[in-house]
Amino acid sequence: MDKLKIVLFMCNWGPHAAYQALQDSGADIPAEVRMIRIPCTGRMSKALLFRAFEMGADGVALVGCEPGTCRYGSGTAVAEGNVEDTRGILDLLGLGGDRLRLAMFLPEESQPLLAFLQDFYKVIETIGKSPVSIPPREAPPAVTREMVSQLLTTHDIYACQDCGKCSSACPVTLAGKPFSPRAMANAIIGGSVAAPEVVNDVWSCLTCGLCYDRCPSAVDFPDFIRDMRHIQKVCGRTGHEAHGGFFQSLMRTMTSPDLKIRHWQWLPEDIQTDPQSKTLFFGGCAPYFDTYFKSHLGVQTSGILVDSLRLLNFFDIYPAILSGERCCGHDLLWSGDQENFRRLAQLNVEAIEAAGVEEVVTACPECYRTLSHDYPEQGIELKFKVTHIYDLAEREIDKGAIGFEKLDRNLTFQDPCRLSRLEGRPDLPRKLLHRLQPESFTEMKDRGISALCCGNCAWTGCDSYTKTLQVKRLRQARETGSNMLVTACPKCQIHLRCAMEDPFLGDEIKMEIMDLTTVLAKTIRWE
Amino acid sequence: MSSTLPSNLHKEILITGFGGQGIVLAGQIVGKASSLLDHNESTLTQSYGPESRGGYCSAQVIISEKTIHYPYVRHPDILVCMSQGGFDKYGASIKADGTLILDQDLVKVEEVKCGDIFAIPATRIAEELGRKMMANIVMLGFFTAITGAVSLEATRATVADSVPKGTEALNLSAFNKGYDFGLATLKGRRKKAAGKKGVGA
Ligand code: SF4
Ligand code: SF4
Ligand code: SF4
Repeated sequence: MDKLKIVLFMCNWGPHAAYQALQDSGADIPAEVRMIRIPCTGRMSKALLFRAFEMGADGVALVGCEPGTCRYGSGTAVAEGNVEDTRGILDLLGLGGDRLRLAMFLPEESQPLLAFLQDFYKVIETIGKSPVSIPPREAPPAVTREMVSQLLTTHDIYACQDCGKCSSACPVTLAGKPFSPRAMANAIIGGSVAAPEVVNDVWSCLTCGLCYDRCPSAVDFPDFIRDMRHIQKVCGRTGHEAHGGFFQSLMRTMTSPDLKIRHWQWLPEDIQTDPQSKTLFFGGCAPYFDTYFKSHLGVQTSGILVDSLRLLNFFDIYPAILSGERCCGHDLLWSGDQENFRRLAQLNVEAIEAAGVEEVVTACPECYRTLSHDYPEQGIELKFKVTHIYDLAEREIDKGAIGFEKLDRNLTFQDPCRLSRLEGRPDLPRKLLHRLQPESFTEMKDRGISALCCGNCAWTGCDSYTKTLQVKRLRQARETGSNMLVTACPKCQIHLRCAMEDPFLGDEIKMEIMDLTTVLAKTIRWE
Repeated sequence: MSSTLPSNLHKEILITGFGGQGIVLAGQIVGKASSLLDHNESTLTQSYGPESRGGYCSAQVIISEKTIHYPYVRHPDILVCMSQGGFDKYGASIKADGTLILDQDLVKVEEVKCGDIFAIPATRIAEELGRKMMANIVMLGFFTAITGAVSLEATRATVADSVPKGTEALNLSAFNKGYDFGLATLKGRRKKAAGKKGVGA
């Protein structure tokens, strides 16, 4: 067996003195432990903690100061939250939360520290080596003129007539950012791919597709940007990932084939599934989102998966679920990492086909778009068909004898860009919305194919401008006079809730949010 | 899907509506499906009331495993009403354990003594499919699912055979729509009877 890799992140202040005392006395610190000094445990974000596991750590110990002795006041409390959430993620991944531990020591507690390290070593030895294995990246080539001109040709960027319609529609531009898709395209055509402004612009686009809808020459910016990001990534540049790149790191980790993921371990018992079913429900990453944001936004997007399954059960459909389900890869693809996207896609398709599945149902617009559209486009053939749960629900409800109970809310609707714009199906959620029995349903000013983005895509490029955009969107929602914003994508819900946390705007942009699937499940009735 | 027909089959069926709804054609299809394909006996009698008497028309169909001696339906086991006039005239004649089937947008029922009532917006569904005149076919699909008096295969095949050439596909989709609506209605009743109205445990 290879030697275990145990990383010890050690706060500079309290416990480091204890550690030094151990070193000075030649104490028996397990040789597998590698110590890294950090300024404060509170500075170890979930992204940094998790990154160690992505890079192959078998165990990680975060060692800091007793609460109350933290030099910066709140460090220990922050670390407690981060460790708890990251342990939750490790559990879902099947790595096991026990691989990550937080401990606190005073400067004079060198013997307890030694005991802790020896015990932690034993624990990790019992759990064994981590199954995470990520192929090393090749040395990055330089961006060449050919790579770029090939992209310009493939996406026919030369067709741009310089009319400016894209920039006048782009929500990022309208939020006041010095950003223009047209100008970026011109700059890239002009050869300045590496200019900092251009790089910045490539990572600022939301890939929302509004410009593509408006462009008289059908210049497909989202696809172009996606591939430009790929070039940037291949050439070793870093992107503008939100949350320290936590989610990209999580997805890359999932490409390890030997992981025994436990995607559904939290599922309520009343849900009926059937491993033999030819229909599979593909849930998406909601459980990870909820775990990550637990102490921050308190989002409950896993409820969408539960309600989807309840809805299927209501229709007498008892689908299979994949315990080893991995992220569909949407966010890797759209943040420039095609290699790992393909790895995820391959693993998912193999697992789905091994389960003998003929139809995959999903409630996530990104999973839907990615499985049905991007997998085949990126060369991964499917032997099953992909159905959005709205299509399935519409089909079942249309058979008759199903109605909806009254809902004492005034509704408005946030379009998911992947379904409403990129897949061109704004009518699909609306068919269902019109079946509901709310007090009222009022569309926002920008809606359907012209809807405004929720403010983020692929955990990339979140900044004060996208925040401005979100505030604008929430104001539009409030202007409808509605008191419930219905969403159709777990991420719209997360990003918009995040914007609502703004302490200065307070109640001005707050609103109850509920996913359409949940609204359906809550009010659907046999008649 | 193969449907099993009830044994000792004997059903007296009355289909009513107004002229132009294809009431008689619906009766013919039921009778033909039952006799030619389900291998039973069947009879059909039709009557038209002049406009002055409420504009109803009706088709009386009897399907039976045994020889039928009397072709008129006095007290139907199954009464299908596609117009208010038809219901007003025949509603009271239904057997106490009979099945009443309605176009819910066209017929309002006050009180009637019968076994069970099933309703479908057949005309509306036909309109949504693009042809109001297919309401009778939608109704046939519903009738087939609800009563099980004729088999699905036989009725489908007879529909395809009886409608104008070139409209088979459209009529079959109307039939399927009605049939699915019937299955959904039965399923809904089962769920409710089991105390399961909505989602969840
Ligand atoms: S809308 Fe299209 S043609 Fe007009 S400037 Fe933008 S990319 Fe060019
Ligand atoms: S895809 Fe959206 S964010 Fe990106 S340039 Fe087009 S309109 Fe702007
Ligand atoms: S909007 Fe909030 S949740 Fe979304 S990426 Fe930005 S910081 Fe994260």
